[in-house]
Amino acid sequence: MKLLTKTSLNFISASVLFFLVGSIAMYFSVRNIMAEDLQNRLLQQQNEFIYTAQQNKVTDLVSELVFVQTTENKQLYSFSDTVLIANEKYMLYRKLDFSYAKNEQDYKVSILLSQSESDKLIMKIVIMNVGFAMLFFMIMFFVNRHSIKSALGVFYSTIRKLEDFEVNQTTTLSLDTAEIEEVKKLNQVFEKMSAQIRQDFISQKEYTENVSHELQTPLAIISSKADELMQADNLSKEQMEQLALLMETTNRLSKINQALIFLTKIDNRFYTEVSTSAINDLIKEKLSLFDDAIKEKNLRLELDLLEITHVYMNPYLAETLIINLIKNGIVHNENGGLLRISLNNKTLSVANSGSVLSFDEKDIFKRFTRSNENKKSLGIGLSIVQRICDLYAFNIAYSYADEHQFKINFKK
Amino acid sequence: MLKKHNILLVEDEVELAKSTLAYLTENGFLPFHAKNLKSARKLLKQESFTAVLLDLGLPDGDGMTLIKEIKNAKNEIGLIIVSAKDALGKKVQGLELGADDYLTKPFFFPELNARLKSVIRRLNLEANQEIVLNEITLFPEQMRTLIHGEELELTAKEFGLLLYFVSNQNRVISKTTLGEFMSSNYADYGFTDDVVYTHIKNLKKKLNSSNADDYIKNVYGVGYKFTVA
Repeated sequence: MKLLTKTSLNFISASVLFFLVGSIAMYFSVRNIMAEDLQNRLLQQQNEFIYTAQQNKVTDLVSELVFVQTTENKQLYSFSDTVLIANEKYMLYRKLDFSYAKNEQDYKVSILLSQSESDKLIMKIVIMNVGFAMLFFMIMFFVNRHSIKSALGVFYSTIRKLEDFEVNQTTTLSLDTAEIEEVKKLNQVFEKMSAQIRQDFISQKEYTENVSHELQTPLAIISSKADELMQADNLSKEQMEQLALLMETTNRLSKINQALIFLTKIDNRFYTEVSTSAINDLIKEKLSLFDDAIKEKNLRLELDLLEITHVYMNPYLAETLIINLIKNGIVHNENGGLLRISLNNKTLSVANSGSVLSFDEKDIFKRFTRSNENKKSLGIGLSIVQRICDLYAFNIAYSYADEHQFKINFKK
Repeated sequence: MLKKHNILLVEDEVELAKSTLAYLTENGFLPFHAKNLKSARKLLKQESFTAVLLDLGLPDGDGMTLIKEIKNAKNEIGLIIVSAKDALGKKVQGLELGADDYLTKPFFFPELNARLKSVIRRLNLEANQEIVLNEITLFPEQMRTLIHGEELELTAKEFGLLLYFVSNQNRVISKTTLGEFMSSNYADYGFTDDVVYTHIKNLKKKLNSSNADDYIKNVYGVGYKFTVA
């Protein structure tokens, strides 16, 4: 629910409630006042009757609304409501009965006063009240709505800007200056926060790059020194082998380092530039890199890339995704096995022969998970594949039924 | 090589520089060392260089700034960036500025040597385009091989391998180094050893059938050595 809707609803429901209670209360109080007024007027007429009755004959005073009867009761005094039928219309009257004594004779005098006038008045007052109140509420409602809207304009613009905020953009978050203290404070907090986030992001990126630099250089030194040593003439076979192992391990360390830095870069959304790549062309292009490896393992290659599939993503990540999938299908294949790559209905499937996994299927995309036989594998390739898929919300799934199969759905 | 090539190494890491300088000297180059941009500029004024090996992260600034200066002064100077920063952007930027090649740390000396020689060959068109080693004559531009004056058909990979060996004579080249060279930086691990072995086996067979000497020696458990007496 929008803030504006919420406040409007609150306003309306509160107004309706108070208006209802107020109207009812007002109706009754107006009625009371009217009744009192009627009573006073009846008492006034009683006084007038008594005054005129002293000079005139009582029976002469009888009129349309004044009735006189003889009575035995000397203590009459009461107010009541009564209905008269005039012109076939029921009319409500207020009646005052009192006893009046003149010339040893007791009379019961009834004075009637029409209530219809006051009823009409009450009706008019109530209608007017309702009408004015409605108008008033409506005006209030629109004024209130408009004022909230204009007062929160900056707030809404802040929300829009926060929605568009991306940490790796170079422009800083600049929010409109607000008149309202709370919004002003909110904007200040956001600006400070975004600056902090951006700074953290930059320093993290720098850190990644520094780690790369700081680790790669010592590795280069180790590797170059080992290479230098290896050239000496007086080394035993064992010493040579150890140096070769040293070089291989250093190289492996450097590869792991590079792969981890690459993963961090993906996580840090370093690769933001996007373009359209045709996956089918990319597969054909990258497969040529593996010609030797495929031949070496005597793999049967089955390609079904008839469908042209375009993806909108970072070109470097697209390349990496394809290379890593193909490489995985070759490295973990058996000699003379099958490598089947097909593209169908926006789904890429890479399948390869090979024995059942020696670890839990769930862990296949985890870093450093690898089978026991393949000690030389780094165990990062599929991790990178999954991370790239995550980044673009591509669905990736692994299944095993006589062959390992990876399926990536490029539909979003 | 008749004349020794002057090479300028711009590298702030002393230990790495020492090894590189020793390696370059050993391979018939005349290397000079600059630890920072300032001394590199000074040396560039004093000496005439065939090629520059440039590290990017230097204590007094980014090596990138030096690329234009060098290329503007003399375009034929070969320029290879040697950097730990394996950022795609950096590589593209460097090559756009005029660098001839880009090598990521850690690198292997034979790789550096091969690239350096290739850059020098490309930039000195007047110099000999052919490489002669006893009965072997190589034409790197055309990827042609003559053995005893007769044409030998080699695949691109085999030719690359032979050129690599010829550029790195009498050196033990480890399997790791060769694997990295062969895998064109993509295939990391797992099958490169076998691929290297197959290619070398094929190359040896072809050289042998052309009656070339058996230069490529297997150093068991370590790698290979191209031995020239």
